[in-house]
Amino acid sequence: MERSNVRRIVVSGALGAVSAVMAITPLGYLPWFGGASLTIMHIPVIIAAVLEGPIAGTAVGLIFGVTSLVKAATAPIGPLDPLFANPLVSILPRLAIGFAAWGAFRLFRGKVTPLAAGVAGAVGSMVNTALVLLALGLVGTRELTGMFGVDAGALPAILGSIALTNGLVEAAAAAVFTSSVVSAWKGIESARGRSKLSGEGS
Amino acid sequence: MKGLEFWKHVSIGRYVESDSPVHALAPVTKYLWLLAVMVPASVSGSAPVICACAIAPLAFAKLARVNIGFLLSGFMPVLPFLGIAATFQALLSWPGDASAIIVALGPVSLSVREAVAIATMALRFAAMMTAIGLFTSVTSEGDTARGIEDLFSPLARAGFPARELALTIAIAFRFIPIVTGEFESVVKAQAARGADFGTRSRNPVRKARAYLPLIVPVTIRALERAEALGEAMEARCYGTGPATRYVESAGGAADMAARILAVAYAAAMLVVPFFLH
Repeated sequence: MERSNVRRIVVSGALGAVSAVMAITPLGYLPWFGGASLTIMHIPVIIAAVLEGPIAGTAVGLIFGVTSLVKAATAPIGPLDPLFANPLVSILPRLAIGFAAWGAFRLFRGKVTPLAAGVAGAVGSMVNTALVLLALGLVGTRELTGMFGVDAGALPAILGSIALTNGLVEAAAAAVFTSSVVSAWKGIESARGRSKLSGEGS
Repeated sequence: MKGLEFWKHVSIGRYVESDSPVHALAPVTKYLWLLAVMVPASVSGSAPVICACAIAPLAFAKLARVNIGFLLSGFMPVLPFLGIAATFQALLSWPGDASAIIVALGPVSLSVREAVAIATMALRFAAMMTAIGLFTSVTSEGDTARGIEDLFSPLARAGFPARELALTIAIAFRFIPIVTGEFESVVKAQAARGADFGTRSRNPVRKARAYLPLIVPVTIRALERAEALGEAMEARCYGTGPATRYVESAGGAADMAARILAVAYAAAMLVVPFFLH
């Protein structure tokens, strides 16, 4: 489906704002248990990729990354926040979310849309977790070993266990959110049958 | 859900208007200096380079008449983390560390190499945090978006959508207060109906489902507003011809000098370590 450029810009801007608001308020974190929380602020990036393609996803990923960079630098709250003041950790991995989610959505698009969107949500979320942890491990090896009080050799195992526990739970949450939002939006789009923007074929 | 009013005064960064020479620089020049400090601070392992990167934002803050204490206040929550990291650095000795011991307390000792590693870690964080904090203090939202377009304009000739990216960021800035307002009204409406947002549930999927009545309406309303804005822009023929800019920020000779200095500074920071060793 050919999308108009204007539509891609405005949808990216709006979803970028949703992601930014989630990143700078407690809304981006679902409190889980034991003080742990699930991050959901990457979900607008996945939604943008599913609705408007990988370029929109990357643009929203950039806005999300920059917001988390600025927040980590100006108002850090957690012990890991200072490491996120590095663009290699906070921005670079987020640019890949859109491409991964869009790829997953395309693979399953022919099937049921909510299912394809759910898969895209899970894949996008897992790519976010994996790449951020990888960047953290590569860029902040010394700081992380100091913080966890372990040898550098044990770091991959610790980061891997975080990826498996928190990462998989976040992927499940992302699948639920992406599937619901995309189904609701597609339903609204098709149900009201109003005129679409020019250049937007069917 | 606690703290319904928490996000009433959201802001990204903290722009403070002033007529200082730093404020007067073109947005792209500010971006170049931000990169000139951030890139060496994040990739370099050399202590003198990181030290220079930590000093540069403070010098600019002085020029910009931004309170240095205000700039460093963001650094305070990081101190406990640095304390823990420093303790572990001191507890775990580096293999093959033959540098002089500064302090020794029983089996725990702090060598010169460990002290330099701790100081470098703290300075690296300080450099990045003050650089970003200062950038947001001297650059308005509009300039942040315009600067992106100017920064990527060389790539635009190769097809990079610099203008579209700048517009996307500008729209995101305009939408942030709208989305915040939407979140606030939907949270209040759902809380009034007795929604507990899954506070008693530990099952992550059930928890996510409990948040759906908040996330779905806010996202859908943002998309509807985006569509209305898109239609308004198309009705005004956006994208059908060459676009003009309302604010031109070309900059004069001082601006050009600052740009050249930024490039020279970054090059020096990346090259100097090879001569030091």
